[in-house]
Amino acid sequence: MSSTVTKAIDSAAVLARWSLGALFVYTGLEKGLDPASFLKLVRQYDLVQTPFLLNSIAATLPWFEVFCGLLLLAGIAVRGTALTLAGVLIPFTIVVWRRALVLQAARAIPFCLVKFDCGCGMGEEFICHKLLENIGMILVVFWLLAGGGRLLAWRYSLFRGNEISAANPLFSS
Amino acid sequence: MSNRRSTPAIVLEAVVVVAAAVGFAVAANGLSPRGLNLARDYFPQSTGRVVETHLPQPVAVSSSSTNENSEVAEIDRRIKEKGLQPMGRAETERLFHDPRYQEGLVIFIDARDQAHFAEGHIPGAYPLDRYHPDKDLAADLTPCQTADQIVVYCTGGECEDAEYTAILLREAGVPNEKLFVYGGGFEDWSASHLPLEEGARLSGLAPGGSK
Repeated sequence: MSSTVTKAIDSAAVLARWSLGALFVYTGLEKGLDPASFLKLVRQYDLVQTPFLLNSIAATLPWFEVFCGLLLLAGIAVRGTALTLAGVLIPFTIVVWRRALVLQAARAIPFCLVKFDCGCGMGEEFICHKLLENIGMILVVFWLLAGGGRLLAWRYSLFRGNEISAANPLFSS
Repeated sequence: MSNRRSTPAIVLEAVVVVAAAVGFAVAANGLSPRGLNLARDYFPQSTGRVVETHLPQPVAVSSSSTNENSEVAEIDRRIKEKGLQPMGRAETERLFHDPRYQEGLVIFIDARDQAHFAEGHIPGAYPLDRYHPDKDLAADLTPCQTADQIVVYCTGGECEDAEYTAILLREAGVPNEKLFVYGGGFEDWSASHLPLEEGARLSGLAPGGSK
């Protein structure tokens, strides 16, 4: 692969990392600054029965996302953060999809016409649009997990300092 | 090979990220003025006792209003399931114009958050954000004790905050017989072009900021 193509891919990966990080910071703040509304949305999924667990999810998940978003923006522990976000995004996408199926059955409308606030921080969205959005985010997460987004990373890896210095001359750990 | 060797490091890194993110999230929730109390039950279970209200119930007037009436019936059922008394718009409006309202014998409680309250509320309504009751609950209990009828409302529709606020008041010692929930809520009230007040309680500000 030519160096030009490699540079283009590296640049695209870092843009993807920044975009994903910014998105998580934005949606996390949207929810974190109004946790009561997020609490009501989380409750609709009927995931947990005890108030403590329900409150804990609603109170901490938004700020958890903000923290991970900031790490991606700064380029700190990128692959560890990507793995963490995969652990959040994939189950949440399944939960949203299942909720949409319930709503589709209740409203007797085509699947893609199901529109609801999934608690994702973007307000009401059509489910097909939301699922595509999440699939896009999951793909970016896997790209970062595979080693993308090293460029302009402040501390790409927490435990493999030498690898970072060699891979990224712009920053050293 | 390189990726295989780095897998444990990535997992370990993820564990560190999760631990740090949880710590950050707990601290942020604790420091935020809008943070949630993790130990509180914000959705207490229904008492199981269904209250039969003696108020006039909405009557279907045309086939076009069937959906609206079924929605009202659904909200009323939900309110009764919590052992509370639903109140329709007509009765709420009648109470608003009742002379007892001026005497404090009928009061309204707005169960939405501070920002929504400031944007517009039923004139004279007391604010009570049940997620952060420390500020208003004590102040609202005094008029609640002297009032004969207390109408609690939130946004309306799927919003259950009015019901849980009524339960909060009930648990604070307000007799259940006095408590009514206006299921249509603020959306129904404002859509009916009934009087509104902006800003603080008794600010006298009409929508648009005019006195």
